[in-house]
Amino acid sequence: MASKEIKLMAHLMRRAGFGASRGRLDELVEQGYDETVESMLSAIDRPTRITDNLIRRYHPEYSGMMGNQSPSGNWMYRMVSTDAPLREKVGLMWHGMFATGYSKLANGKVLHDQIRMFERHGMGSFKNLLMELSRDPAMIVWLDNSENHNGSVNENYGRELLELFSMGVGNYTEHDVKEAARAFTGWTIGNTEYMTLKSARDSVWPYGRLSFHFEYKEHDHDNGEKEFLGHKGNLNGEDIVDIICKQPATAAFLSRHMYSFFVADEPPVPEWPYKEPRDPEAIAALSKVYFDSDYNVEEMLRFLFKSEFFKSEQARYQRVKSPAELVAGVLRLTGEFDRPKVDMNPTNLQSTYMGQWLLNPPSVEGWHWGTEWIDSGALVERVNFASERLGNIESPGVQTLIDRILSDSNGGLNAEELVERALDELSVGDISDKTRSALVEFAEVQVNQSDSGNAGPEQVANVLKLVGATPEFQRA
Amino acid sequence: MTTTAQPRTARLTYNRTIGVAAMQGRGFYYPWSVAVAADGTYFVLGRGSDSDPRGVRMVAMNLEEEYFGTFGSFGEGSGQAIWNASTAIDSQQRLFTSDDHMNRILVRTLDGELLDTWGESGTGEGKLNGPNGLAFNSKDELLVSDHLNGRVQKFTGDGKHLATIGEFGSGDGQLNLPWGLHVDADDNLYVADWGNDRIVKFSSSGEFLANFGSVGRGEGEFDAPSDVCVDSDGYMYVADWGNQRIQVLDADGGFVEQNEGQATISKWAQDFLDTNVEESAARDAADLDMDLMFNTDDPHERSAHIEKLFWGPTSIALDNDGHVLVVDSNRHRLQVFDVVTSA
Repeated sequence: MASKEIKLMAHLMRRAGFGASRGRLDELVEQGYDETVESMLSAIDRPTRITDNLIRRYHPEYSGMMGNQSPSGNWMYRMVSTDAPLREKVGLMWHGMFATGYSKLANGKVLHDQIRMFERHGMGSFKNLLMELSRDPAMIVWLDNSENHNGSVNENYGRELLELFSMGVGNYTEHDVKEAARAFTGWTIGNTEYMTLKSARDSVWPYGRLSFHFEYKEHDHDNGEKEFLGHKGNLNGEDIVDIICKQPATAAFLSRHMYSFFVADEPPVPEWPYKEPRDPEAIAALSKVYFDSDYNVEEMLRFLFKSEFFKSEQARYQRVKSPAELVAGVLRLTGEFDRPKVDMNPTNLQSTYMGQWLLNPPSVEGWHWGTEWIDSGALVERVNFASERLGNIESPGVQTLIDRILSDSNGGLNAEELVERALDELSVGDISDKTRSALVEFAEVQVNQSDSGNAGPEQVANVLKLVGATPEFQRA
Repeated sequence: MTTTAQPRTARLTYNRTIGVAAMQGRGFYYPWSVAVAADGTYFVLGRGSDSDPRGVRMVAMNLEEEYFGTFGSFGEGSGQAIWNASTAIDSQQRLFTSDDHMNRILVRTLDGELLDTWGESGTGEGKLNGPNGLAFNSKDELLVSDHLNGRVQKFTGDGKHLATIGEFGSGDGQLNLPWGLHVDADDNLYVADWGNDRIVKFSSSGEFLANFGSVGRGEGEFDAPSDVCVDSDGYMYVADWGNQRIQVLDADGGFVEQNEGQATISKWAQDFLDTNVEESAARDAADLDMDLMFNTDDPHERSAHIEKLFWGPTSIALDNDGHVLVVDSNRHRLQVFDVVTSA
């Protein structure tokens, strides 16, 4: 039975990372909880095992990015191999909040660039992040700010900046939306007409995709006086972001997103105006850190991971892993992508089949996280994926799991011991009695069917498969 | 024949760009390697994409962009490939290609008829683990960059193992994920030692002779070179893949010059623009050679934005008239250079 410390560390690693093997958890417990939080916060996302060059050498598509799976496949390599998993998790959070998609851009490289921007700026100042987002070429085209001109305003970015990216519905007026849009006139991409035409036509001709770059066109900016959230003046985009970041509604909105992503699933964002947060005190506390730290995301994360509301046993398994988290977590366990392999594309597609096509969300609203991930037939895909991969005895990571489980068997494991060891190695604790009974019953059949009467590699792999199908494994 | 550099300097002069992006038929979809037949025909091997494998094909064409057809397809079946890696032509005008996923070599006529398939996965002598770069010596023996085994192996054209050159590592005579190969007129072997950021030269008997270059972005330095070819004066033309440029070194490894790419509109590209007037007009109004600031020193980013630059130069070869052909993979084209030598 795993100790309290191991269970807490496993909880942290499921949330701040993509899970960890039991061996790794032992090392981290030795290091200490607070020290582990600090090391995750300070880790730099510089790939050492599967470098950018390695990915580009084997998968030109993940380099030239002509197709709609290319940016997500590239990102999956990073999630699977990174030594700084929190950076990737934060990137996933921002991608969920600032969802931008291939369906309109038809350019994988600019989406890839946006994710890299999240990795560079996603744990710094939220104000700086909103500034970078406002200059991000993918976002500019996605929300039509390239069509937002002096005297001919397109409100799309101004509206979503307030509604989905910072304050939430009910905290601003239609007038504020219009004025924000005016302030962002002239914020566009270079070679606007050619780039947007290529996107609209999904054109790869003559020589593949061209990446976008931000361009501020002073002559297309509305320099007239504006009034936004009570502030008057010749406001530009920087002023809008500055005013937004000072709002208590922004602090609460961001805090609720962070709580939902790292602590416990909240209902979908459109329901937030009508439903109280699960833990209003936690939101208030995070909001205070937001202001005290000058909008610093890293400080908010530090507070969150060290808080009692995060460490509490009540928070365990209160999040459904998103498909990308599930896929990346399983692949990190199986170790099958120790280098680029042709199987990455079909493997990455599994996340799409489960309902999360990274870099191609269903709308600007992103995905509805939480139980919607398992409300549909996607659950079958999730269970099949986890079971198949964890039961593949050829995978180096699975071999390691089996070796560890059998190494301290002292001549043989009975069914209960086998289940306990499998749960322990996969860092799944506190399962329900019903789940445990089903696992033990299955393990008994496995052990009884083995020639030796003891569990061997095949029997262990079969039990690992079934653990992958448990509700607890599907949650974080 | 000597390979000692003459007292003159080779200069690259841009000639033209050939090819255009095309998922199938006339054009390329991530071209990866090129070989030149005795009659001057270029055979451009396509890597294709994992999500759209139509690019896994061989395109036959020439310098004037006459299109002669394609053959080959994606798959594990007879004559198919998963990850096309390299191509070379022997003196009998048989066309060899490597597949670094299937661990096999395909042999065809220049018309695409499959003649032979050989190769066996493994790490032992004569076994293959990721065959990619190919080159023939004067005896029609095939050198294969067995990259995941960290070595080059020599075979007869029908796959009989003859010798092993190099081993995994970073020391003299050792290799780390080697990629492109070249054999000069004296049968010396040049290896693009991708993982060690250098060019390694071996004698015809496999003896280590020299390393050229080291990791970096400066003159004479490399970031993961993908290929090398050598002219009759001993000048080395290196596809400095990670640095998104080609470099010319003299026979002693001294830096001569570099080129980051100068692509222009090819005939096939012009055909596209002529029939897509609106896109052509928007393109004409755009500035595709901008001076931009980037948040990284990785030249990959610059090449992603500026169309004329090399973006993933995977292969470099000399044609029968002395043109330097650079396979510019992410831009689905070949950039062609003349070599001008001056006394």
